[in-house]
Amino acid sequence: MTLLELKDVTASYGPVQVLDGVSLSVPEGGSVGILGANGAGKTTTLRAISGTVRTGGTIRFDGRDIRGLRSDQVAALGIAHVPEGRGTLGQLSVRENLMVGAYLRKDRKAIETDIDYCLNLFPQLQDRVGSRAAALSGGEQQMLAVGRAFMAKPKLLLLDEASLGLAPGTAKTVYQAIRRLRLDSGIAMLVVEQNANLAFSLVDTATVLETGRNVLTGTSAELKGMDEIRRAYLGG
Amino acid sequence: MGTFIQLVVDGLATGSIYAALALAIVLVNQATGLINFAQGGMAVLSAYIAYVFLQLGLPLILAILIAVALSFVFGALVERFLVRRFERGDPDTAVVVTIGLLTLVTGISAVLWGYNNLAFPSLFPLTSVEILGAVVSVRSLATAVTIVVIMVILQLLFLRTKLGLALRAVADNPASAAFSGLPVGRLLMVGWGLAATLGAIAGVLVAPQLTLTPGMLDTALVYALAAVILGGLNSPIGCVVAASAIGVLENLVAVYIPLIGHDLKIAVPFVLIFVILILRPQGLFGRKVVVRV
Amino acid sequence: MSTADATARRRRVRAVLAALAAVLLVAAPLILPAFANQTLVRIGVYAVAVLGLNIVMGYTGQVNLGQIFFVGLGAYVTAYGVNHDWNILLVFVAACAIAGVAGLLVALAAARLGGLAIAMVTIALPIVGVPLAKRLSEFTGGSQGISARFTDAPDWSGLANDQWQFYIVLIVTAGAFLLARSLVRGKYGRAFAAVRENEAVAASMGISPYRTKVLAFTIASIFGGASGFLYLAAVQYTSPETLSFGHSISLLAAMVIGGAGSIAGSLLGGAYYVFVPQLTNSIDPNLTTVSQGAILLAVLFLLPGGLVSLPRAVRRLTRRAAPRRSTAQTAPETSPQTAPAHRPVPDAAPEGHEQTERQDGP
Repeated sequence: MTLLELKDVTASYGPVQVLDGVSLSVPEGGSVGILGANGAGKTTTLRAISGTVRTGGTIRFDGRDIRGLRSDQVAALGIAHVPEGRGTLGQLSVRENLMVGAYLRKDRKAIETDIDYCLNLFPQLQDRVGSRAAALSGGEQQMLAVGRAFMAKPKLLLLDEASLGLAPGTAKTVYQAIRRLRLDSGIAMLVVEQNANLAFSLVDTATVLETGRNVLTGTSAELKGMDEIRRAYLGG
Repeated sequence: MGTFIQLVVDGLATGSIYAALALAIVLVNQATGLINFAQGGMAVLSAYIAYVFLQLGLPLILAILIAVALSFVFGALVERFLVRRFERGDPDTAVVVTIGLLTLVTGISAVLWGYNNLAFPSLFPLTSVEILGAVVSVRSLATAVTIVVIMVILQLLFLRTKLGLALRAVADNPASAAFSGLPVGRLLMVGWGLAATLGAIAGVLVAPQLTLTPGMLDTALVYALAAVILGGLNSPIGCVVAASAIGVLENLVAVYIPLIGHDLKIAVPFVLIFVILILRPQGLFGRKVVVRV
Repeated sequence: MSTADATARRRRVRAVLAALAAVLLVAAPLILPAFANQTLVRIGVYAVAVLGLNIVMGYTGQVNLGQIFFVGLGAYVTAYGVNHDWNILLVFVAACAIAGVAGLLVALAAARLGGLAIAMVTIALPIVGVPLAKRLSEFTGGSQGISARFTDAPDWSGLANDQWQFYIVLIVTAGAFLLARSLVRGKYGRAFAAVRENEAVAASMGISPYRTKVLAFTIASIFGGASGFLYLAAVQYTSPETLSFGHSISLLAAMVIGGAGSIAGSLLGGAYYVFVPQLTNSIDPNLTTVSQGAILLAVLFLLPGGLVSLPRAVRRLTRRAAPRRSTAQTAPETSPQTAPAHRPVPDAAPEGHEQTERQDGP
């Protein structure tokens, strides 16, 4: 069952066209990666889905056309976007950030259980529950951002450059936690990542973008094997 | 001593009016990133609306409640249709828009009710009570207490309710808040609506004393802005403290320093500002904000 | 025709037009009736004030709500000097200098604050100024105000009073405009624009935002003082009412409506200040404020560059009317959700809102 489908999606910021026909699909519970060099349009693809950029083409989620919806409407449908730069609500505490994630939910008890789960998943956050989120380190903020997205109990998680600015060890920890999250909850994921190794640890299939277009699509196994491709697009 | 206490209590009352306006300004600034110079003007219009209902025969408290409720709607509509375009953009441009709004609102008040001073009844009895040997105006006490109570309620709203959490999230990072499903536009309207009600309450409480006229809160706005500068734009508590201090200080200076007297007491907060801010540019309570390029 | 030729031709045309305008301006008062001269004089007075405001607000992006204070200050200094028989040139210099020093002091403190603090502090200037003017009655004549006549035409000129006044105002106004023009076209103009765009970036380029703001504000005050001198030359009377808060806002509105960040726009702003309130007052004095607010908002929404940008806007509209869907892009039905923080182009006030098409809706 296809959960998310993009067909020939175009996107532009004003007069500048960034996406020139991107297609991909994410099956229910599946995990797909978007790879490519800087400026290829990876982040813009996620933005096209969550409604933060002008788009053309087809974007269908759960069978319905979601192109043209506002970000909060897209979120209400079950898509949680962890943006590039994390989008932490700096002035709010860690706990409040997680509560905001659960904004659209009404099941108070389950929300508490999920907060506990998050803190379990990211033990580094346990001591910082009351701290202002802006005071956290980059890695902790990334974990918090993922946790906040999870709190919405989404069907699809959009992860944008989760390793950006993190030390390799921290990035690995974050990805390990996200892997565990996927196993526990079966959330589908669309992962934008410049670090190919990290990406392949999380996704089943991936598509490679170059100047706003797909140039290669395949399973992780297939893509991992292509040495030249790796060197040219994925930066090892 | 008696005079002193009287002056302090009266000062706290006027200070609470400044505090309400200052808090409204801070609220709007935190939510939408701009300073609303029309905050006082909007409050005056709300007081006029209460006046209209009074003329229609409604009891004072009802007229006030209706006017305050309508001011919420007014504030929300102003955000949606007038200000939204200019939010998160160049704040200086947005300020000019609010100045245009101030002119417009003052003008509307002038067209509908003229420039004459209209009498507005006091919600509180005009009696006095004895405290520590001083004769203190009940109205002053009640005004100060009312506004403090309302501000406490607002703080509780912000810190303890889901709506308050949502308002704070949207003020912090609206794009990111939207990713969690928060209806950003609607919440901004609520923020402006709340600020407008704060202003309206201040307006109807001070109208009996100042008499209703289109420019009634012009001076109060100036004091409120001084309080915001002194207290720091991101510290509601700082603003309230600063506003109260300004209210008390202006009264004391007017009486005890006749050289300054009543006509020049408005200069006092600004002299204060000059002095304090040379030493501490972020205000007494504010935090230094790092601007990322 | 190459672009170099076109530019040279344009420059020649402009020079001819400028020479023609100069001739016209010198000849005008001799031909026009006294009333017309007086009106033009008043336009000049306020144009200089608006020009000063434009330098600190339109070009450097600092909202200044106190410009009228410096106009009033200049007028009072002028009245004092004239009534004490100072040399007229000295009076002019004093008006500009004292206003400038006052502006400098205010700016030194206010510019430290950054952000909208300058707006919030300058609002106090007219509000404190009025009672102050009433208080210092030995200098200011108190609430009654003070009159001073010094622009009666001398016998040797053979001119009428209004014509003489016209020339005085013309000289000062022209001087102010030329000075402003060379200022904004030079390195200071670039510093102003840089600070307006982004202070942090300006700082990294070696431009001190603080110093630039202080400079701009001081220049604005000097222009304000000059305007005050002209005001007294024309009106021959000043009072605390001159520097009231209402007038301060009117001046700001005039600047925006004329054209923020534009030299020519300042002239239009002066004209607006003279004509429009007069017009609305004659219809109904209570209407003046509301119509001013409405016009200001209308300009901010529909024509952010002010009246001076009207020809440009009309040109853009007519260009858009012509069909131009050359890109085979499907009509974008969606629009950006978040409005990125747009910094206005230095030449005009808040433009660029065409890009900021948010999907609105509660």
